[in-house]
Amino acid sequence: MATYLSRILGKPVWDAQGERLGRCVDILVAEVETGFPPLRAIALGNKKEEEHLIAAEHIAWLSPSIILNTSAPPAYEARGDELWLARQVLDRQIVDTEDRRLVRVNDLQLARVGPDGRYCLAGVDIGGLGLLRRLGVEGLAVTLCKALRREPPRAIIPWEDVAPLQADEPIRLRVSRDKISELHPADIAAIVSELDRPMGQALLQTLDNGTIADTMQEIEPELQVTMLGTLPPERAADVLEEMGPDDAADLLADLSPVERVKLLKLMEVEDATEVRKLLAYPEDTAGGIMTTEYATIPIGLTVGKALDYLRQSPAVQEDEALYYVYIVDEAQKLQGVIALRNLVLATPAIAVREIMDDEPIVVDPLTPQSEVARIVAKYNLLAVPVVDADHVLHGIVTVNDAIDAIIPTAWKKRLPRIF
Amino acid sequence: MILTQRVKRVAQRILLFLAIMGPGLITASADNDAPGVATYSMAGSTYGYSFLWVVMWITVGEVIVQEMAARMGAVTGKGLSDLIRERFGVRLTFFVMLGLVLANLGTTAAQFAGIASSAELFGVSRYLMVPLAAFAVWFLVLRGSYGRVEKVLLFLSLYAVGYIISALLVHPPWGQVLRRAIVPTFSLERNYMLALLATVGTTITPWGCAYMQASVADKGVTPKEYPYTRLDVILGAVAGNVVSGFIIICTAAVLFTHGISVGTAEQAALALAPLAGQWAKYLFGLGLLGASLLAASVLPLATTYAVCEAFGWERGINRDSDEAPLFYGLYTSLIVLSAAIVLIPGLPLFPLMWLSQVLNAMLLPAILVLMLCLANDAGLMKTWRNSRLTNALAAALAVLVTLATLALLASSLL
Repeated sequence: MATYLSRILGKPVWDAQGERLGRCVDILVAEVETGFPPLRAIALGNKKEEEHLIAAEHIAWLSPSIILNTSAPPAYEARGDELWLARQVLDRQIVDTEDRRLVRVNDLQLARVGPDGRYCLAGVDIGGLGLLRRLGVEGLAVTLCKALRREPPRAIIPWEDVAPLQADEPIRLRVSRDKISELHPADIAAIVSELDRPMGQALLQTLDNGTIADTMQEIEPELQVTMLGTLPPERAADVLEEMGPDDAADLLADLSPVERVKLLKLMEVEDATEVRKLLAYPEDTAGGIMTTEYATIPIGLTVGKALDYLRQSPAVQEDEALYYVYIVDEAQKLQGVIALRNLVLATPAIAVREIMDDEPIVVDPLTPQSEVARIVAKYNLLAVPVVDADHVLHGIVTVNDAIDAIIPTAWKKRLPRIF
Repeated sequence: MILTQRVKRVAQRILLFLAIMGPGLITASADNDAPGVATYSMAGSTYGYSFLWVVMWITVGEVIVQEMAARMGAVTGKGLSDLIRERFGVRLTFFVMLGLVLANLGTTAAQFAGIASSAELFGVSRYLMVPLAAFAVWFLVLRGSYGRVEKVLLFLSLYAVGYIISALLVHPPWGQVLRRAIVPTFSLERNYMLALLATVGTTITPWGCAYMQASVADKGVTPKEYPYTRLDVILGAVAGNVVSGFIIICTAAVLFTHGISVGTAEQAALALAPLAGQWAKYLFGLGLLGASLLAASVLPLATTYAVCEAFGWERGINRDSDEAPLFYGLYTSLIVLSAAIVLIPGLPLFPLMWLSQVLNAMLLPAILVLMLCLANDAGLMKTWRNSRLTNALAAALAVLVTLATLALLASSLL
């Protein structure tokens, strides 16, 4: 039989002799990471007296009345790993990891499970019926719905599918990190943006550097700056290393000069050099939006040799999309380009030079972003190489980064939350 | 320190201030929306300069309350309805939200009354203009092409500056004006209580507090940068109330001295006559239209966000109506209902505008008590809790408004 936290809070607690001990003010559960966190203790409040805890094994019944199975329950000492349901979860926002969104907790469902029939936290009520129950009109609402032949607005998420965001003091989140990390970075970004700033920052800090980097690339620039500022400088530098150099450069460009220099110094020399190069170009040009992570092969290889080269080259591993392979000479001058698809499908023995496009569409580092977008759209490219006057390859602009100029990301379109 | 360095430092500070400032000035310019102008015009034309002291003291009250809201936004990063829900639970939140929705429905209706009034100044029927405006607001805000329109509306609302020029042109007796601004005069008469409450209600609005807190939280102002926000709040409140004061001076000088107590938009427009002569009607009409449309676009959306946030409903104009049915339903009904109220035949528009503000004032003490609880919560605010002076002044404001409400109710019953 399931019951709800709202039906238990404020109820009197009776001992085995029928003596009234006080009112239930909170419920503590443990093993929050599991699907059915067991009840650890209940908190009792008396008039004037400080609240004290009673261990769960002394509870005989929670509903319809709270009755203990002993008459002199020993006090329970909180160990610090418990979750206080009324204080830390009820009415707060939690992450629904199944539907990947933030929801507000209207009520909590408790159930007796297992052979010993112990009480566990089973689910989170986020529906209208939970609200109505808190307002004390659940019965009325259900009757009304029945009369109108409609389903009552029930919405209960199993506890396995949520990640609570309760913050301790000072704000440090105890979240089921795995549950959050498994979400797509874009979903994490949406949740972080929707949360209030301190909570969003705390959530971000629980993730590993790689996930933070991926999430950063999905959130709006202004928020990126705030979020990065909350990380310790060494960690911020690590996150910047994990990000693509183009995104890292964009983010650094939004920082104050002092901050930028400090972080660049903390970054690994190799990553920092690439980012510095990108920072030199104006933000709205091909140079400003290009990435320096792309795949090149030296001229003169056969198809088979070229594929071997790609597999072994550490620089190629960095290319996230790998739509095209660029063929360069010793001076890094662009000789031609070939789509990876064509390379893979070609006969291994023939020379790459034979099948590559030796007059590829290129842009100058100072080409305006809108022009790059136009070129990418016109020629149906997935990426366009950026070369200087000497035809030396400096980077590529991928289609995503190019069209950002015309179609802003969803985050840019989001109107600020007014209230 | 070398001079250039010092100049650079000052320049950096000013830049930082400009970047952070904004919410205060926007909230203050909302003082000059339709119900605001109607209230001040009514008060100034009925009670003359003797009403100026109210504006003086209300400025103090507004600074206290808005500062508290802004500080809570900076420290907690959360909106007011968020905090109320997490701290006080569903039941109290429900009643607060109900009050907020009703008061904001009244205020939105007042904005549409402002639109209707200005339409009638130009000889256009309100039965044409109000539905048109309601649809325009609904459509523009949801379709997101609102940004450009907002700039035009903000520009139109600058007409309120006309009151300052107009007041300077009529040469009011400045000595008397100054004395009246400082020395309080008081009356327990029912209409005076109404005027008093309407003035409080239009200047220190519950939704204004919530808006302030949300925009500070949204901007990501940190407690470290907060002093700049505080300055912005103070400047905004003072600027807004200076304009309000000049509306009262104008209406007192032009209308009160001739025994005209403002009851229609035509009469209210006369206060701008020293500046615009026979064009006063059109200046007033355009300005009122801009300010009303601006507020009518912000209010229903802001109210809907607050309610949805408190109850955890899907919200945001980037979701579609299937994803967020309650958000769209509430938003649409707020606009439709408030426009419909204005279309009731024979409804006097001007009294509707300022009477709706009395409702706001009556809700204020309740919101103030909650805000005081939150702003003194050590767990929430840490070292940024209220000072004793802030507590005393805010409590005094709540008590005074409650007393005025009781006096009004008593005088209505007796």
